[in-house]
Amino acid sequence: MNSETLDTLSTYSKNKYKYGFITDIDNEKPKKGLNENTIKFISLKKNEPEWMLDWRLKAFSKWKKMKEPKWANLSFPEIDYQDIYYYSAPKGFEKKPKDLSEVDPKLIETYNKLGIPLEEQKVLAGVAVDVVFDSVSVATTYKGELEKLGIIFCSIGEAIQKHPDLIKKYLGSVIPPGDHSFSALNSAVFTDGSFVYIPEGVKCPMELSTYFRINAENTGQFERTLIIADKGSYVSYLEGCTAPKRDDNQLHAANVELIALEDAEIKYSTVQNWYPGDEDGKGGIYNFVTKRGLCAGKNSKISWTQVETGSAITWKYPSCILKGDNSIGEFYSVAITNNFQQADTGTKMTHIGKNTKSKIISKGISLGKSQNTYRGEVSFLRKADKARNYTQCDSLLVGNQCGAHTVPYIDSKNNTAVIEHEASTSKINEDQLYYCRQRGLSHEEAVSLIVNGFCKQVLQELPMEFAVEAQKLVSISLEGSVG
Amino acid sequence: MNIQDNYQKNRKNIFFSENKDIETHRENLINIFENDRFDKKNNESLKNINLKNFIDFKYKYLIPEETSVINNNHENSYSIVSVNGQCSTFKDDKIEITKILDEDYNDFSKNNIIEKNDHFVNLNSLFLNSGFKIVIKRNNNIKIKISNIVTDDDLTIFQKNNIICQEGSSLSLIEEYENKNNSTSNILNVIKLEKHSQLNHFLIQDNSSNHNLIITSHSSCKKDSTYTQKVYNFSEGYVRNFHYSELIETNSEANLQGIFFLKDNNTSNNKTFVKHSAEDCKSNQVYKGILNDRSKATYFSNTHVDQVAQKTEGYQLSKGILLSDNASYFSKPELKIYADDVKCSHGSTIGPIDENAIFYLRSRGMSKIAATKILISSFINEELSSIDNEQMSEIIQKKLVRYLSKVK
Repeated sequence: MNSETLDTLSTYSKNKYKYGFITDIDNEKPKKGLNENTIKFISLKKNEPEWMLDWRLKAFSKWKKMKEPKWANLSFPEIDYQDIYYYSAPKGFEKKPKDLSEVDPKLIETYNKLGIPLEEQKVLAGVAVDVVFDSVSVATTYKGELEKLGIIFCSIGEAIQKHPDLIKKYLGSVIPPGDHSFSALNSAVFTDGSFVYIPEGVKCPMELSTYFRINAENTGQFERTLIIADKGSYVSYLEGCTAPKRDDNQLHAANVELIALEDAEIKYSTVQNWYPGDEDGKGGIYNFVTKRGLCAGKNSKISWTQVETGSAITWKYPSCILKGDNSIGEFYSVAITNNFQQADTGTKMTHIGKNTKSKIISKGISLGKSQNTYRGEVSFLRKADKARNYTQCDSLLVGNQCGAHTVPYIDSKNNTAVIEHEASTSKINEDQLYYCRQRGLSHEEAVSLIVNGFCKQVLQELPMEFAVEAQKLVSISLEGSVG
Repeated sequence: MNIQDNYQKNRKNIFFSENKDIETHRENLINIFENDRFDKKNNESLKNINLKNFIDFKYKYLIPEETSVINNNHENSYSIVSVNGQCSTFKDDKIEITKILDEDYNDFSKNNIIEKNDHFVNLNSLFLNSGFKIVIKRNNNIKIKISNIVTDDDLTIFQKNNIICQEGSSLSLIEEYENKNNSTSNILNVIKLEKHSQLNHFLIQDNSSNHNLIITSHSSCKKDSTYTQKVYNFSEGYVRNFHYSELIETNSEANLQGIFFLKDNNTSNNKTFVKHSAEDCKSNQVYKGILNDRSKATYFSNTHVDQVAQKTEGYQLSKGILLSDNASYFSKPELKIYADDVKCSHGSTIGPIDENAIFYLRSRGMSKIAATKILISSFINEELSSIDNEQMSEIIQKKLVRYLSKVK
């Protein structure tokens, strides 16, 4: 590595997390720790029916018997589940505000700092936003327009009250509460998240979006998102995250379930930029997310796109179960890790139906002392005739103290299915750098250009609303270090 | 019978059971067995295996009556017959063949790249009852052919061989495993290549369906040395090929290649692991498999690049053809990279024979079976044509024809 790169690396390492600020809002919390009373407290606060409480308690009893999955290439101190608050809601939110003027102005200010003012989004972007601040949905916009089409877009808490039939039918149908310890934990204590139902034949006219934001210290955020696309419908859903700077590790274990029925399509995009910890690896979010989509009907399609730049630990495998014939699963991912960040992310494509297709494009970039792992499973079951998979995972290493790992699992039980997998690991090409420098770009600009080119295949899959933000994020993540 | 009782009962027949250090090591191994409980889910080395055969086995070993022969048929060319894993001692100015010694055992037990829960390697260390050591002396160019023979039914052979290529030597080693009896061979080859040495290692495996073969190798390469291994598995019985290679000094190279041909209910587990611990080293891992009927195969490949191992080139390729509805293939090509100036890649494909290619051949008047056979041959042609040993390539061609005759 030349001295220039070393210089730029050290300048970067001094850069502080841009979005690190804390909003002081009184929090209402139950006592720390996890037991049946905590769950009853949450259920009571959310005014839930009894069957929901039973469901939570069942999940809790399963969780008690389970151990955390250990196969990921991550190292972190043992999580003390008894030292975490499981519910926090900004005060006075028992009764929901009818419009933005009723919302705590400090909250609005927080969003302004993040560069996504609710007001502006409402008017300009035409995006309906269901904001999760800590655990209670603050404001939901554009609801009226969606209602006209019969689309249900609300918080999961509201859905439990208003649409118990759908919840009973689909909640936990893709990710059973007993799947693994994080899903059981989430099932027991989830507080908020989004619920989307697109009725038969409806193409959702706008990108639905939620901004998750973790605030209060030591509060684990346990969202539960459930999206159901009925026959012939289409929906594109955006999820973005940024968190304020804290020293204590914060636990996040979200569950996201997608269900696409016959001819339906769901596009789910994520930009994740939570606090990754400081340059010594102190603090940062622990992100253990279970995301799973079920292509239940014929010709259905689920597409995951993610840009992962934050979190001290990322443990995330958005996957697709391709059950319906001719269904399609896609996964596009960019994961950038810096300093002491650790990411173990990838996907799982399970081909059950005939003529199912899946495509995986994963790009990992490791800088500093970080570890970046792609872990993916592609399996063709016996009846998946003529199924097809293409996987490409590339890693880029910047600096000699980081690591890039690729761990694919490929399993074929069908002799008409075709699977192709390729992966490569390399550093930034010297010739490309030389070429750019020769044409007058600075070292930083040149590296930025090359890295952006490296990720382009994935970034272009993001919807317009996100593409700009994602590109900004990629350059912020590289800023000072390489470009 | 559990493993501990089995061991205690047969202790007197096992190598080095009077050595204290080795005894402590073995006690640790027994503890691993007791604690692990053979959890198939979290131990990839146990996938697709009928464990009962290997854990609940009846220990039986016969010391061969007729000691094995070493023939010096041409200059620089030797053929060795190893009977029940044993071989008579031999010494001339080029090679030296002896029994394995306590120190060889200790030397191996310190290795750190074979997983602690690889039970077959642990069983080998525990029940060790045979083995030999071959040393190729400095600056010699040698050819050796070893025929591995098991004499009786129901034998359990736990064999550990040491092969050492001294500085500047070159060895072409062909090992044949063709057994028809109902026995189990668990073989561990520990191979050491010193500076500027070279080893071409061919393994031809063609056992009948009741013979199980478990073969593990661990090679370490010093400066400017090259280890090339080619495995041809035509066996009808269970075969496990696990091969580990460590590149410990600069400019060394490891090539681990294999082809397996499976049919009926047969299972084969394969693994290659290359650890790059020095700069400027190269590695290649290429496995190809053809699976027919209800056969099952797994292939794990792994390239590990240490932080110091800059300028590494490491490549992996895994290809599988499934000829039948009921065959299944699992592959896991892994890369673990801690250095930045490297070129590493892996590719993996699994699928049927290309229909367009079949159509092309059929439109030129070939029957479907003939077309299939031609395409299977072409799938592995690259590997077969690269064999520079004429005798070897003839043997393999014959076995290939035999396999293809069963393809329908």
